[in-house]
Amino acid sequence: MYVIVTYDITDDKRLNKVRKVLKKYLYWCQLSTFEGEISEGKLEKCKSEIFDIINFEEDSIYFFEVKNPKNIVKKVIGIEKNYMDNIL
Amino acid sequence: MARRFYINSNGRIRRKENTLYFEREIDGEIEKKALPINDIDSIYIFGEININTKALNFLAQNDIPLHIFNYYGYYSGSFLPRKKNVSGSLIVEQVKHHIDNQKRQYLAISFIEGAVYHILRNLRKNGINKDDYQDIEKELFPKIFKTKTPEELMAIEGNIRDKYYQLFNKIIENENFYIEKRDKRPPSNPINALISFGNTLMYNTVLTEIYRTQLEPTISYLHSPQEKRFSLSLDLAEIFKPFIVDPIIFSLINNQVISLNDFDTDLNYAYLNEEGRKKFLKAYEEKLAKTIKHRKLKRKVSYKQLIRLECYKLIKHFIEDEDYKPFKAWW
Amino acid sequence: MEDINFEELKTNGIKINYYYVCKRKLWLFDRKISMELSDRMILGQIVHQESYKRDKPKEVLIDNLISIDIVDNLNIREVKLSDKMALADKMQILYYLYYLKKLGINKKGIINYPRLRKREFLELTEKDEKEIEKTLIEINKILKSEKPPPVINSPICKKCSYFEFCYA
Repeated sequence: MYVIVTYDITDDKRLNKVRKVLKKYLYWCQLSTFEGEISEGKLEKCKSEIFDIINFEEDSIYFFEVKNPKNIVKKVIGIEKNYMDNIL
Repeated sequence: MARRFYINSNGRIRRKENTLYFEREIDGEIEKKALPINDIDSIYIFGEININTKALNFLAQNDIPLHIFNYYGYYSGSFLPRKKNVSGSLIVEQVKHHIDNQKRQYLAISFIEGAVYHILRNLRKNGINKDDYQDIEKELFPKIFKTKTPEELMAIEGNIRDKYYQLFNKIIENENFYIEKRDKRPPSNPINALISFGNTLMYNTVLTEIYRTQLEPTISYLHSPQEKRFSLSLDLAEIFKPFIVDPIIFSLINNQVISLNDFDTDLNYAYLNEEGRKKFLKAYEEKLAKTIKHRKLKRKVSYKQLIRLECYKLIKHFIEDEDYKPFKAWW
Repeated sequence: MEDINFEELKTNGIKINYYYVCKRKLWLFDRKISMELSDRMILGQIVHQESYKRDKPKEVLIDNLISIDIVDNLNIREVKLSDKMALADKMQILYYLYYLKKLGINKKGIINYPRLRKREFLELTEKDEKEIEKTLIEINKILKSEKPPPVINSPICKKCSYFEFCYA
């Protein structure tokens, strides 16, 4: 599946920790946004790691999940960054 | 589903805590790129890269192979992390199939059968006149099933390949890429450089798939295990070279994606330069990601996954579950 | 039924479980022909970890063979993702109870399905003991066979980590 993750985290320490978890699974695309293709199991694992970090009263993390990656159409205005390249 | 990463530029691979970074200098500034460790299948290194044991240990923890190539795109070697899923009893069976001549020949013939099937498929699909390849189809191909030794088989295969490469010139629409003769060490002209590079990639992709199973990559059937270290990878790659690599070469040349500017030459040595390599890698990645509905699994599988399925079929052959039949593209 | 030679036949809990799921899977697993972690296996691990954090059971490894979560003086526990394989999961924990009984320890069992908010309580009966002994003998026979048992062609295959292996 394809997932886009956005987050609002009030504390810098937790913010850093969450970012580190996301970096293990997905691609950082813009401030407070990660995206990428991921299997259901790995996504659950990623969520369970985040679960242990965040403060449920103050932080919020959104997961936009699309079952079929082909259904995602990305339109860019301005600069397109190639953060998902695998040929470097 | 994890991805292959191909590193062409110079730089450094670094581990910081549980994040793997690739760092390179662009216009005097260090660009840092996090590679999601859970999304890496394997890493191919073509550039000049610094890496330390801390990073290698991290790759090992995550079962990620690292394949290294020299400046010319030649394979130098791999860092294959210690396998955690070994099966002693399977290795014993694999050896049994090697030391029994008849059993060994059965597999050796199967690999060539798969290769020639895809060679003929390429000729057919590219509109080559049947008369031009009927010696391959009607004379040479049936002979492989009567061979008694891998050497005998290799000789016929060599004949088939010579004729096949001659027909390349009828498929290729750019005379700069006409093939005179196939030479590998070193490739003397651009077309030979393309074939060598593609075959090298195939070898490493197959090796990575074998590594993910319990198969022992050093025990082989068509190729002699003395020839190269991971000769089982050479065996299986035979089937996939004409299925995956050759069509890429035809399309890169005929669609004018690749030109002579994408090659460098040293004396009588031709090799893809960085731009050319990236074009090839892009086409290779697209090919491996292509999918087809599998008739028995009844679900879509990628071309890359077909290689893994071939490994599974070999395992089933070794444990006397189901006789191995080589993959033949059925569409 | 006469007494079985438990020392010779004893095995780990996963094999008991697999015996009731698929005998082919049992054979392949025994030969160390394993598959990469599937999504289902990852989910199973997560569920286990999560409930571990909540209850903090005592994990005990016996004879290097079976690992049991002990939650209190009375109960041992197994955590499962779904109840699709209820029989296999039940037999696995009954086997642990049987094993402990052989060591002179009497306990009861709980299967926890945190995602289904469901628990199942188990006690070892005489009938269960007979069934387990029969199973141990059967497992021994299957594992001695040179070839793997055939593909079972069941709807459960589609979710099994061996699916691509079996149907390739």
